[in-house]
Amino acid sequence: MNFEAVIGLEIHVELKTKTKMFSSAPVAFGKEPNSCCMPLDLGFPGTLPTVNKEAVIYGIRVANALHMDIDHELHFDRKNYFYSDLPKGYQITQNLRPIGSNGYVDLNTSNGIKRIEIERIHLEEDTCMQHHFRDYTLLDYNRAGVPLIEIVSRPNIRTGEEAQKYVEKIRSIVVFSDVSDGKMEEGSLRCDVNISLRPYGSDKFGTKVEIKNLNSTKFIQQAIDFEIERQSKLLLQNQTIRQETRRYDEAKRETILMRVKTDAVDYKYFPEPNITPIVLSDEFVNDAIKNCPELADSKINRYINEYSLSEYDASLLVNEKSVSEFFDEAAKLTKSYKLLANWINVDIASVLNKRNISINELNITPKSLVALISLIDSKEISNNQARDIFNKMIETGKDPLTIKNELGITSQISDESAIMELINETLNEFPQSIIDFKEGKSRALGFLVGQIMKKSHGKVNPKITSDLLLKELKER
Amino acid sequence: MKEYNKEILKDAANRLLFDMTDEQYDTLLNEFDIITKQMEIIGKDSLIDDLEPMVFPFECSTSYLREDVPSTPLDKEDAIKNAQNKQEGQIKLPKVVL
Amino acid sequence: MKYMNLTIDQLHDLLVNKEVTPLDLAKEAIELAKKDTNNAFEYIMEKEALEIASKLTEPEIDNPLWGIPFAIKDNISTKDVPTTASSNILNGYVPLFNATVVEKLLNKHAVPIGKTTLDELAMGGTGTSGHLGMTYNPYDETHTRLAGGSSCGSAAATSAPIVPFALGSDTGDSIRKPASFVGLVGLKPTWSRISRYGLFPFAPSLDTVGFFTRSVKDCAYLLNVTSGRDENDSTSSTKPVDDYVSLINKPVKGLKIATIRQINNAIKDEEVLKAFNNTIEQLKKEGVIVDEIDLDLNMLASIFPTYFVISCSEATSNNANLDGIKFGPYCEGNTYQEVMFNARTKGFSELIKRRFVFGSYALMRENQQELFLRAQKNRRKIVNAINEILSQYDFIYTIAAPSVAPKKDESSDRLNEEYLIADNHLALGNFAGLPSITIPIGLKNKLPFGANVMARAFEEAKLFQISEKIEQITGLKNLNAKEVK
Repeated sequence: MNFEAVIGLEIHVELKTKTKMFSSAPVAFGKEPNSCCMPLDLGFPGTLPTVNKEAVIYGIRVANALHMDIDHELHFDRKNYFYSDLPKGYQITQNLRPIGSNGYVDLNTSNGIKRIEIERIHLEEDTCMQHHFRDYTLLDYNRAGVPLIEIVSRPNIRTGEEAQKYVEKIRSIVVFSDVSDGKMEEGSLRCDVNISLRPYGSDKFGTKVEIKNLNSTKFIQQAIDFEIERQSKLLLQNQTIRQETRRYDEAKRETILMRVKTDAVDYKYFPEPNITPIVLSDEFVNDAIKNCPELADSKINRYINEYSLSEYDASLLVNEKSVSEFFDEAAKLTKSYKLLANWINVDIASVLNKRNISINELNITPKSLVALISLIDSKEISNNQARDIFNKMIETGKDPLTIKNELGITSQISDESAIMELINETLNEFPQSIIDFKEGKSRALGFLVGQIMKKSHGKVNPKITSDLLLKELKER
Repeated sequence: MKEYNKEILKDAANRLLFDMTDEQYDTLLNEFDIITKQMEIIGKDSLIDDLEPMVFPFECSTSYLREDVPSTPLDKEDAIKNAQNKQEGQIKLPKVVL
Repeated sequence: MKYMNLTIDQLHDLLVNKEVTPLDLAKEAIELAKKDTNNAFEYIMEKEALEIASKLTEPEIDNPLWGIPFAIKDNISTKDVPTTASSNILNGYVPLFNATVVEKLLNKHAVPIGKTTLDELAMGGTGTSGHLGMTYNPYDETHTRLAGGSSCGSAAATSAPIVPFALGSDTGDSIRKPASFVGLVGLKPTWSRISRYGLFPFAPSLDTVGFFTRSVKDCAYLLNVTSGRDENDSTSSTKPVDDYVSLINKPVKGLKIATIRQINNAIKDEEVLKAFNNTIEQLKKEGVIVDEIDLDLNMLASIFPTYFVISCSEATSNNANLDGIKFGPYCEGNTYQEVMFNARTKGFSELIKRRFVFGSYALMRENQQELFLRAQKNRRKIVNAINEILSQYDFIYTIAAPSVAPKKDESSDRLNEEYLIADNHLALGNFAGLPSITIPIGLKNKLPFGANVMARAFEEAKLFQISEKIEQITGLKNLNAKEVK
C-alpha cells in the first residue's frame, strides 16, 4: 500500500521591532541577562500590556504578502498554561480573530507550481530564554515578550521538498518585508512540523506526530522524509502510530522520540480583558502595505522585465536580501545589468561563500563595483585585468581607478583609427610577414600582433587589434 | 457541561499547580452544586443565547497603538531583586527537562 | 486627636493658613496608625511619609491634596514599599514601580502613610480572609463586626479615623459595601476613568480604583487629580477629565432617580428602609423626580452567579503569575512544577484556591459555553436592562447593604443557597462600568449604614451633585467612629 503524507507547518517568526510586543522594553540580543526588561516582562502584579504599533504593521505586511484577509480590528486572547519560561502564567496571543486568515503561497517545486494554503497568522509574545545546565536551569527574561508572528499552514504539504520550499518562501517574505532576520539557526524563525500518513485516496487523517527543533530548511526536508519512511514502515507492519513529539537528530539523520503526548492540553482561551478592541483604519492598513519593501518575487519580475536578466540570474540575486539590495543600488548607476549580475552572482558570490560573510561586510560598495564595470565596458581594461583589480579591491577596499594606477595598468587603446595607424606602420616595416601570411603561415599573424603590442607598449586592445589586422591583411 | 466530582476538582486544582485538603474539596464540591444550580437558572433563559458575550463594560474600542520607542529598561539587578533563587544574574530553577 | 478627624477640605484650609504643617499631619496619622487596634495596616510607611512631608514647606493654595496624609490598599503597587495584597504568596514582594494612581497623588504632594489590609488578593467581601486575619469595624469596640471587604483596611483607617482618605479597589462592591458598614463615602468611578496600572488584577473587566473619604466633595477632589488617560493602561479612557467639583451645591431640581422595587422590597431591616425612604422624600422636596421601577427578580438573582463566574475565571488567569519564582517566597522542589506547586499550595488560602478551581473549571473547553460565555451573555442582558433605565433616569438609587455591618459569625465567604437580592446589586455598577457611590444615610445603635447612587458612565460630576445633596439631607458628613462612639 502507498501512503500520502499530510503535513502542516507552524512557523514562529521573531519580529525585529525596537520594543517588545506588549511592553516598551528594548528588543536586543546578546545583552546581559535580564537587562532588557520592563516590569510586564517578568509578570509583576499590576502591569498591563500595550500593543506595539510596529509589530501590527509587520503583521499586516506579512498577511498581505501571503494574500490573506486582514482583520481591521485587533483582538487578543489569553492562552493559559504553566511553564517555567512563561512569566505571567499565560501568553497573550490571538485565538479567535487572528490578524490574517485564508492566505496562500505558490511554490516552484520539481513537480511544477504547488499552492500551499495558509490558515492564519497571528501576533503573540515570546517566552523567556532558558539556559540549561547539568542540574539546574537559569532564566533570562530579555526574550520574554519579544513580538512573534505565528504562521499556520493548512495540512496540504505532501513532501519534505515542499515543506523545505515553503519555509524558504516564508523566510524570504519575512526577510524582504523587513519584519524579521529570519535566521533559523539563531531561532528568529522557528518551525514545528505536524505529519501524519494515510492511504492514497483516503480523506481521513492519521495520527499526527509533531517534529520540533528544526533549525535549517535542509533538516526540515530530511526530517520529514525520514518520518514518512518511519511511519510507512510501521503502518505496513500493521503497527499503530503513537501521538508523540519527536526531534531531528542531525548527525544520525533520524527523528528521535521526545515525549508521547497524552490528551490535548486545554488552554482555556478567553479574550484578553486588558486590551480593548483596536480599530485599524483603512488608511493605516493601506500605509502598512504600501510601505512594505519590495518582495523577492517582485524583484525577480523587475530584473527580468526591466533589466532583461535571465530568470536564473534574477533568482540568484534575490537569494539574499542584502545581495539584491546591493544589486539595486548598483543598477541605479549603470546600464550594464547583465555584467553587473554576473559579477555579483559569480565573483562576489564566490568571495562571500569562501569567507562566509554577508555582502555588507565586503570591502566593495555598489559604487566601486560599478566603477570597475565601467572600466570593463569602456574596454579600458581587459577581463583579466579587471579580475586583478577586483581582488585588490577585496583586499584593500580601494577604488578601482586607484588600484589600476597602482598596478601600473595603463588604459588600453581601443580607438580603431589609432590602432590602424600602428597596424599600417608595422606592416610597412615587415613586408615579409604579409607574404608569409598569404602563404598560410599562421605564425605571421601572431608575430605582427606582438610587434604592434610592442609599439604601443602593450596598450592596444588585443581583440580589436587582431580583428583589424586580419581585415587589413586580407585587403592587401 | 462536564460532570464534576472530587477527583475532577482535584485534577483541576493540580493543573492550577496547588492542592487542597480533603475537607476543602468537600466544601468546594458543595459550592459547585450551589453555583451550577444558580447558573442553570440563567441557562433556562433562552433569550440570552443570541446575545454577544460581554467582555468589556461598555463599547470602548480604540485606535491607540504604542509607538515602537524603547524605554529605559529595569536595572538588571532590580529586575530579579524579588527572586529568592538566583545565580549569575539570572533566576534559578531545578533543571527543566524538555 | 487633633486633625485626622477633619476632611481634606478642612485640612487644606489649615495647611494654607499655616496653622499646621504636612509634617504635623503625617506624624499624627502615623501615630494613630501605630496605635490602630482594628488590624487595618499591612505596613506603615513611617520613614517614607516623614521624608515626603518634611519637604513640603510652601503650601499650594490651589491644590487641595497638598500635604494630606492617606492610606493605600495593599493591592496597589508602591515602589520600594512591600505590597502583599494580604496574601502569603506575596510576602516580601517589594514592587519596582508605583501604580499610576499613587504616582498622581505623590505628584500632588499628598503623603502616603501606610498600606492597608484587604481580603486576600481582593477576592472576598468580609475583610476576614487576608493573611493578617480579620480587620475589625472601628464602630464596634468588641471587635466582632466586620469592616466589610475587600477594602477592609482602607475602610477602617478612614473611619477610625486615622487618615482623611484612602485608596481602595472595587470589583463587585469592595469599596461601596465596606463604606456602608463604616459610615464613609465610597466611590467606584466609571471603569477606565482611573488608570489601573499598578492595581493587582482581580477581574480586569470589572476592576476599578476608587477611594474612601468622609465627604462627597473630598471624593470629587480626588477624582479630579487621579482620573485621566494613562499610556501604561491602554484601556484607560481618553475622555477629557471634568471638573468634578463643579456641580456640587447646584440645584438638583428636575434630576430623575429610579429606585428598584424588588431591591427595596428585599430590605428586611425597618430602620434601614425608613432612613432610605426618608432620603427619597427629602429629595422629592428638592424637586428631584423619583420613580420606583421594576426589574425582573430572576435577573437580580442572576447577578451573583454571573459575577462569580466572570470574576473567578478572570482571577484564576490573572494570578497565574504568582509562583514564587520571580517574586514572593520561593519553595524548594525537584522540578520547576514542584517549585510552583509548593509555592501556590502554601501561598494561597483555602478560599482563594476554591475560587481559582471554579474559575478554571468555568473556562475549560467543555464548560466554557455553559459557564463563562453564558455568564458573559447574561452580563450583557443585565447591562442592557440597566442602560435602558439610565436612558430615562439620571440615577439608580438603592441601599448599599441590607443592614448594618454584620458580626463575623453571621457572615461567611462560603456560597449560600439563598438569593440575596439586596446584597449583591452593587455589582451592577461593575457589570456596566458605571460610576457608583456609597454615602452614609443613617445610624442604627451607633452603627452606620449607607445608600448607593449609580449614574451613567462618565457622569461623575452629576453623581457628586446628587450625593452631596443626600449628604446635606442626612447631615452625616464627616462621620467617624471615634466621635459617634
